[in-house]
Amino acid sequence: MATKILTLGNILSRPINFLLKQNNVNSNLKTNFSTTTVACVNFFNKLPAEKLWKSVTSVSNAGAKKGRGKGAGRIRIRDLNRGQVIGVGKVNILWPGLSAPVIRGRELLRQQRLPEDPERLEKLIKIRDSMIKFRRLKLSPIERGWSGSKLPGRSIGPPDKIGEDEFTGFDTKVLQLRALLIMKGSLGRTRNYQAMVVTGNGQGLAGFGFGKAKEAPAALRKAKNRAGQKLMHFEIYNGHTINHDFYTAFGKTKIFVQKKNEGYGLVCHRAIKEICQAIGIKDLRAKVEGSNNLQHLVKAFFIGLLQQKTHQQLAEEKKLHLVEYKSENAYFPKVIASPSEVRTKEQIPKDETLDFTQYVMNDKVILKKKKFPRFYESMPHYKIFLRKYEKYRNHEKIRLNLKVEYGEVKSFLTDKYPEKNEQEA
Amino acid sequence: MSYLFRKLAQTNPKNRIHDAQIFVISCRKLSIVPSLYDGEQDPAPKFFSSNVQVMLKRLTRPDYNKVFRKRTNQGLTILKTPSYKFLTNEELEVELANAKKKAEKLLQMPPVVKIQKHIDDVLSKDPALIGYDTAKYLFTDITFGVANEHRFIIERDPDGILRSCDHDVRKRLNQTYFPMNGRKLREPLMFTDQEKLYSLLDREKYEFVLDRACVQYEPDEPSYQKITSITYQHIDTLSKYELLRSTRHFGPLVFYLTWHQSIDNLILELLQNSAVRDAVLLTALRQDLHGDVVNGESLPSLVHQVLATPIQLTKPECLTEEDIQLDSKCLKCIEKYIKTNSSMKSQQELALQGFRENYKQLIELSRGLQKAHGKA
Repeated sequence: MATKILTLGNILSRPINFLLKQNNVNSNLKTNFSTTTVACVNFFNKLPAEKLWKSVTSVSNAGAKKGRGKGAGRIRIRDLNRGQVIGVGKVNILWPGLSAPVIRGRELLRQQRLPEDPERLEKLIKIRDSMIKFRRLKLSPIERGWSGSKLPGRSIGPPDKIGEDEFTGFDTKVLQLRALLIMKGSLGRTRNYQAMVVTGNGQGLAGFGFGKAKEAPAALRKAKNRAGQKLMHFEIYNGHTINHDFYTAFGKTKIFVQKKNEGYGLVCHRAIKEICQAIGIKDLRAKVEGSNNLQHLVKAFFIGLLQQKTHQQLAEEKKLHLVEYKSENAYFPKVIASPSEVRTKEQIPKDETLDFTQYVMNDKVILKKKKFPRFYESMPHYKIFLRKYEKYRNHEKIRLNLKVEYGEVKSFLTDKYPEKNEQEA
Repeated sequence: MSYLFRKLAQTNPKNRIHDAQIFVISCRKLSIVPSLYDGEQDPAPKFFSSNVQVMLKRLTRPDYNKVFRKRTNQGLTILKTPSYKFLTNEELEVELANAKKKAEKLLQMPPVVKIQKHIDDVLSKDPALIGYDTAKYLFTDITFGVANEHRFIIERDPDGILRSCDHDVRKRLNQTYFPMNGRKLREPLMFTDQEKLYSLLDREKYEFVLDRACVQYEPDEPSYQKITSITYQHIDTLSKYELLRSTRHFGPLVFYLTWHQSIDNLILELLQNSAVRDAVLLTALRQDLHGDVVNGESLPSLVHQVLATPIQLTKPECLTEEDIQLDSKCLKCIEKYIKTNSSMKSQQELALQGFRENYKQLIELSRGLQKAHGKA
């Protein structure tokens, strides 16, 4: 395509050259002077630029429906007059009255040839290229969504206020924006936009909503406001994670969600991450199995969150103390919930699930894939590497210790043999 | 002359810096004079006696939330996900008993012993060996399973004398052959550099200083006792006892203060926090160590009663009749102590008065509550 444009450019600029050359020829051959017009009949000087461009850039109706003439390879109309000034050309000649004043100071200017400007053509080409380059909408890294300037993953602000009530502290994230095509008898194929968004204040209050409209912004607005109307409250355990692990499913989508320690982060599907951020959950791991249908995923996750039980409820159900062990507290047994009455060991049936995780996961088990050794570990060079670097394994610590003791990397021998240091320096 | 000097200081930038440094140093609180356990009396038998140990542990007031708190020196680079268990009453009791054992281990007090004596033990004099070499020869028995303090370490001096090594050489060689985790061959700067130690103390990093001193030194070393003494006195002057409560260093702190007859500030703090029972224990400790408390004979029985009650981590909200009886006994005892033995009479009496008024209200409240519940 690019070559095509170049040739076109050459051809367009050629007629002027022809004319110039002809002039020169005419002036040289003074004897054979004739006034008959030269019939240069081709469509370049017969048709206006607009029509010429149309012939190159137009796409048939059927092609346009298929999406031809769009995107990166599309030919764009270029204004070849841009950057060109009357009186200034390839040969740099001063024309008094056209490209320069007739009288400068007290001197009468004469037509003269100036030295050539080598960058003129480059500048022209640059100006022409700037017209055809396909430029994507640039966003700041903070505003970007999951994929550049596409809307999913981007923030669209809080829902519109209802009467006097404002949604302060809320933020809405787009989860899905897609075109739905419907065939209609009279109109043919029509486009509808559907949007799914999640809104929340990051302090336990969140909701999601759908919106449909003929235009994308309208669909987003509808979805956002509907999400604001369907807020739900979620308990956040210690201000950073969920109450307990859970399994949840919607349709063919299955999600295994795990409670995690502080600082773990959100290790999950990007939509689940957005939802967690809207709610205010900071640490969690979620594994999606089965279908990746986004709407099912969102619904399944919200259902799972809503179906969580409080620790007191769990203790009451089991009629047992619920005790928490943390490694940072040296596994001190901290009772976080006690039931009103506690069962004794004899009262517990033999086949009851007493394992906490198994109980809250509803006896579902997460598939743990076997971890294979890394590909290079079986190779001979890795063994060589290990052997070679074994002697360096404590050097970092020693260096640190030397810095603590002497303020620099040196040993008790440095004072004894100062000449060694000088040599190196 | 003074004008001249000033001018000199102005012209020479080096001089000016020097002046500034002098000023900073003079500002520092270098007034603490460490007092060691170097007198005639040996503190070890008193410290290790069972009733003193019990009292010291009780005065530590272990709060499990603080004993099992998150520490930075646990070697955990990242946190782990907590685990959960369903437990019956019996299982929970077993778990709590295990945790108590673990807490006792964490709260084991560093021993308080007399300062070490120099080892000056000539094994043999061999004049034939005089001038055999310019260096000393050191011999260490590195047999596995011998305790560090009983290890055989001797030196042969260039003058032909064979003698047992002194403590500093012994420590060095022991650390070389059997390195102790965390102990350095060279003393850390924070202990040798007075400036650095005081900056740590000013930032109230008492526990860090004491923990590191425990690792670096033996309890009978003069440097250990000097550093702990400075730390304890720093805590005492600022009344920051709360920072050491529920740690293993509180017992030695109390013992140090009692041994050196300076418990008045601690008693004042206890009274201000309405811990009369602990104050009674402290006076009993003084009676145990020095035997100079008035009517000290009645103290052991009272201490026995106090030890039978559970530890009060916070101020009580409701009182039973037995509590009231015990507290009134304690009050009387403390009153007598303040009258006769205390050197901070007015402040302590003021604190006691405040406590009494609060206590009166509390008694009325709890009696009223019991009446309202129809129990009395």
